Amino acid sequence: MKKLTLVVVIVIIVGAVWLSNRTPDSPFAAQSAAVPSAALIQQGEYVARLSDCVACHTIPEQPAFSGGLKMATPIGAIYSTNITPDKQTGIGNYSLADFDRVLRHGVAPDGHRLYPAMPYPSYAKLHDDDVKALYAYFMHGVAPVAQVNHSSEIPWPLNMRWPLAFWSVLFTDGGSYQPQADKDEKWNRGAYLVQGPGHCGSCHTPRGLAMQEKALDESSEQFLAGALLDGWYAPSLRNDINIGVGRWSDEDIYQFLKNGRNKHAVVYGSMTDAYNNSTQFMSDDDLYAIAHYLKSLPSNPQLDGKAWQHQPTTVSTEMATQPGAHTYMTRCAACHGSDGMGREQWIPPLAGATSMLTHHDASAINITLNGSSRIVSQGVPDAYRMPPFRQQLSDQEIADVLSFIRTTWGNHGGDVAVDEVQAMRHDTDPASSDVIILQMR
Amino acid sequence: MELWNDMKLQINQQTYDVDVAEDTPLLWVIRDNLGMTGTKYGCGLAQCGACSVLIDGEVVRSCVMPASYAEGKQIITIEAIEQDDVGKRVVNAWVNHQVPQCGYCQSGQVMAATALLKATPYPTHEEISAAMGNLCRCGTYNAIEAAIDELAKEAKVEGTA
Repeated sequence: MKKLTLVVVIVIIVGAVWLSNRTPDSPFAAQSAAVPSAALIQQGEYVARLSDCVACHTIPEQPAFSGGLKMATPIGAIYSTNITPDKQTGIGNYSLADFDRVLRHGVAPDGHRLYPAMPYPSYAKLHDDDVKALYAYFMHGVAPVAQVNHSSEIPWPLNMRWPLAFWSVLFTDGGSYQPQADKDEKWNRGAYLVQGPGHCGSCHTPRGLAMQEKALDESSEQFLAGALLDGWYAPSLRNDINIGVGRWSDEDIYQFLKNGRNKHAVVYGSMTDAYNNSTQFMSDDDLYAIAHYLKSLPSNPQLDGKAWQHQPTTVSTEMATQPGAHTYMTRCAACHGSDGMGREQWIPPLAGATSMLTHHDASAINITLNGSSRIVSQGVPDAYRMPPFRQQLSDQEIADVLSFIRTTWGNHGGDVAVDEVQAMRHDTDPASSDVIILQMR
Repeated sequence: MELWNDMKLQINQQTYDVDVAEDTPLLWVIRDNLGMTGTKYGCGLAQCGACSVLIDGEVVRSCVMPASYAEGKQIITIEAIEQDDVGKRVVNAWVNHQVPQCGYCQSGQVMAATALLKATPYPTHEEISAAMGNLCRCGTYNAIEAAIDELAKEAKVEGTA
């Protein structure tokens, strides 16, 4: 009996060691590198746009893809890496199979496992053709930059990478996207873009205890159901009336992703970077496919709550005795309107805004304290944006004005507590040497 | 997205034809295209109020207002404020109280005061402070409040509102 137990233990250990050191299969293992065509490199550049590689693998004022972006995680900071084709510090020595393994399986050529800050559970769904094109682009379309990678700041024992192999087995689906036969081509293209290269779920799908996305496709109603991340509430992308895109048409979604704005909302928070670097470069066909797919995701009434009913109100000086209304008049009404309706697609309405309907108040507080960041559309920076009120309004004033906005015009996000504002002010203080919430770009 | 529009704008009861991108700030059109320089550029962020104009009676910051939004609406700038009864009284009170110092913010202040008194003829101090969010680097706030106070009292006596 003892012998049998010993054998079982040994088998388990050997199996675990094999699994955590295993080099995943790649369909490209036997292929040698031929110089790619210009068309393939161009396709790869488009896939890089779809996948928004530059957002994380670049820091301001530095060459594209040279890495170095600090990302705060609950267990310590990690840094994105240099993915230019530099042979010493970048990925210049990667074969196509090496590139594939790191991209779709999260395993680097030296065998170490990547943290899932790299959204390889999403990139796992990339088609072979797109992986090939992306490789061609990074090897031949991107200039090499000598920039040594920054080591991560996660302390022992959490810095051991091998357990991530088990994480990977548990939380990735494996295999590239397979079209669903009962859905049309447009739907399948949208599903591919959203689940795969677009990795929308990285921000918009709630995460579980192991930091895994709770769902990777539409089979679960947790998929794209909205999540808190880095001081922002990334709203639901499902047909939820309050917290999702239930009131948006396909055309509204297209406008939002193409122009950064529509009559319901303007990009802000982390979405500004996704817009600036990625979505505006997508083809019209791809954007409409994304809209078509998102509009097929049913709402989750339990999470969404009672549907917003607009109660028109004009904030007037007679309401000035309420502290929140007073601040609204002096600070907000000139742009967002005394009726809270904004200015068409240029300045977003606060009546019916997702951030004012969800019980998560992070986005409302964050944007009031810190403003919105620059939207660059077709190379032209925006002329106006939400200014930061960090220096102008106290925690109490921000709590009052947001409580007012979140309970007026039929909004039912609810009151904002002063200590929530205080905490966010501290965590996002750009003057602090220990900023807790780093901007996730 | 950069649609160049042949836009018709109703400013001070006149129709102007302008050829600008639809998201051009209204202030740029008023000052640069049409040469009406009474409305001032202050912060460019809708914070200070120097660029205030009235659109359909509502005081708005023209530095962040896309010109296309104002199409089909009635725009009033400082140039025509004395053609309005309330506006004329505001300007007179401003003169009586010698409100301006450097004067840069004052066209915006007058627009805000006019909008306030049109909506609320007898404003309380609370209401004045809620409506008059415009910044003044010279610190003329006390004179502004005194002028509006006087207008409110006058209105009560004369029953003009």
